[in-house]
Amino acid sequence: MMDSRTIKEKAFLITIFILTLLGVTPVFYVLASVFYKGIEAFARRGLGILIKINGGILPALVGSFVLSILSTIIGVVLAFVAGLFVAEFPNSWVSKATRVASRSLLEVPTVLLGMLVYIILVVPTGHFSLLAGALALALVMLPYVMVHVEQALESVPQLYKEAGYSIGMSRAQVLFGVSVGIAKRGIASGVLMGFAKAMGETAPLLFTIGAARSSLPCSILSPGDAVPLMIFQYAQMPQEYYHDLAWAGSLVLVIAFLVVFFVVRRLVKEVRY
Amino acid sequence: MDHAIIVEKLNVWIRGNHVLKDIDLKVPQGSVTAIMGPSGSGKSTLLRSINRLVELVPGTRVKGKVMVFGRDIYSEDPYRVRKDVTMVSQTPNPFPHMSIYDNVAIGPKIHKLVKSKKELDKLVRWALEKAMLWDEVKDRLHEPPTVLSGGQQQRLCLARALALKPKILMLDEPTANIDPVNSKKIEEAIKALVRDEGITVIFVTHTPAQAVRVSDFIAFIYNGRIVEYGPSRELALNPTHELTEKFLRGEIG
Ligand SMILES: Nc1ncnc2c1ncn2[C@@H]1O[C@H](COP(=O)(O)OP(=O)(O)OP(=O)(O)O)[C@@H](O)[C@H]1O
Ligand SMILES: [Mg+2]
Repeated sequence: MMDSRTIKEKAFLITIFILTLLGVTPVFYVLASVFYKGIEAFARRGLGILIKINGGILPALVGSFVLSILSTIIGVVLAFVAGLFVAEFPNSWVSKATRVASRSLLEVPTVLLGMLVYIILVVPTGHFSLLAGALALALVMLPYVMVHVEQALESVPQLYKEAGYSIGMSRAQVLFGVSVGIAKRGIASGVLMGFAKAMGETAPLLFTIGAARSSLPCSILSPGDAVPLMIFQYAQMPQEYYHDLAWAGSLVLVIAFLVVFFVVRRLVKEVRY
Repeated sequence: MDHAIIVEKLNVWIRGNHVLKDIDLKVPQGSVTAIMGPSGSGKSTLLRSINRLVELVPGTRVKGKVMVFGRDIYSEDPYRVRKDVTMVSQTPNPFPHMSIYDNVAIGPKIHKLVKSKKELDKLVRWALEKAMLWDEVKDRLHEPPTVLSGGQQQRLCLARALALKPKILMLDEPTANIDPVNSKKIEEAIKALVRDEGITVIFVTHTPAQAVRVSDFIAFIYNGRIVEYGPSRELALNPTHELTEKFLRGEIG
C-alpha cells in the first residue's frame, strides 16, 4: 500500500522528469541533426572539404580559430580585470558605472556591437579584418565573463580572505592567491560561457571581417571568414553543395566547442569547502 | 618584566557601535593570557585589534595605542604586523584550494622566510609537529584540507600560523566546537609552544577550567571593558568583581 504522501512524491518526480525531458529534447534534437547532417555532408563531399580553400571550409575554420583565440584574449583579459575590480571595490563609482554598463551591454543586440567596431576600426583603417571581428566578439563576451568573474569572486567566503590577511598577505596576494584560487572553477565556467556565446555569433561579424572566403587570411589585419558567418550565408544559397558545407561547418564547430568545454572542465577542478 | 604587548586606552567603534572601551592590558613576554567574557563582549575584536584585522571591516575606527615589543603597531605596515602577531580564528579556515602542505608552506613562501625547498620542508614539518598534527597528516600532505576533521583543520590553521615563526600567537576560541581529544591536543600544543619556543600566547576561551589549565593570566571582559585582570588561579577562585563571579558561576554569558 502506498500512502498519499508517497503517491504525491511519485507524481512530483514524474512531473519533473517529463518537464526535464521536454526541456532537453530540443537540445538533443539540434545536436543529433548537426551530427547526422554533418556526417552525411562529409560522406557526400569527402573529408577533403576540410582543407579545401575554394569550395571548402578551410578559410572559415582558420578564421574562426584565429577569432576565438584573439577575442578570448581581448575579452577575457578585459573582463577579468573589470570583474576583479568590481568585486574588490564594490562601492566605488567606477564599479557602479561598470556594473551598469556591463548589464546594459548584455542587452545590446550584437549586430550593433559589430557596427560600433565598423565605425571605430573598419572605417578608419579602410578595410575589414579579423582583428575587427575579434574586437566585436570580445565585446559580446565581455559582460558575460565579467559578471561571472565578479560573482565567482563575491561568493568566496570572507573567512578565507581573512585567513590570508591573518598570515600577513597583502591585498593583492589575498585576491590572487586566495580569492581567485578558490573561485577558479566559477571563473573558468564564466570564461567558457562567454567563449561559447561569442563563437556562435554571426551578427557582430557581418560588418567586421568581410567574409573573405576564397583565400586564407595572411594576417590578423586582413579580412577573413568564420564558420557561423559561412553557415549563415551558405544556408541561403540555392545549391545543395553549399548546404552541405554549412552542415560540415556546423559539425566542426560543435565538436571543437565540446572538446574545449571538456578539456577546461577537466583541467579546472571544483574547490570544495 | 618585559612586556610583549601593551595596550593603552584602546577604543574601537564598529559602525558607530562602541565595541571596546578604554582597554588597558599588559601581556608579559612568554606568558599565556586567557580572555574570557560573555558572547558579544568584544573578545574577538580585542584580538583583532592587536593584529589590525579589525580595520578590514568597513566603518571601523580605532583610538588608543597597541605596542608590540615596544613598537606602536598602528604606525607600522599592517601586513608586517599580522605576520609577527599571527592569529588562528574562531572557525577553522584552511585554504580549501591548497594542499595540506601548501597551507602551511604559503606563509613562509610569501614572506620569503626560507631559501630552499629543503628548508621549507623542514619548516612545514616543524610547524605540523608543533601543532600536534604531523603524525596524522604525514602520509597525505598533498591532499586537500577537506579530508581532515574539524579539529584537525583547526590544528592545521595553527600550523599555518606557526610556520611564520611568530613571537606572539593569538587563538580565538581554539577549542570551541571541537571534541575533548582535539581540545586536549591544542592545549598541549599551546603549553609546549610557550615552554619550548618562548612564544607569548593570548587566547579566548569560554571554559574557566581550560583558562586555569593553560593560562598564567585571565582578563575578564564585559561589555567592551576589562572588568578584572589577574593571575589565573586567583581570579578563577576568588574573583573580586561581582560580574566575574556571576560569569564563572555560569549566570551570564
Ligand atoms: N563585522 C562587524 N560588524 C558589525 N558589528 C560587529 C562586527 N564585528 C563585531 N561587531 C560587534 O562588536 C561586538 C563585539 O563582537 P565580538 O565578535 O568581538 O564579540 P565576542 O566577545 O568575540 O563574542 P563571541 O563570544 O560570540 O565570539 C558585538 O556587539 C558585535 O555586534
Ligand atoms: Mg568571538
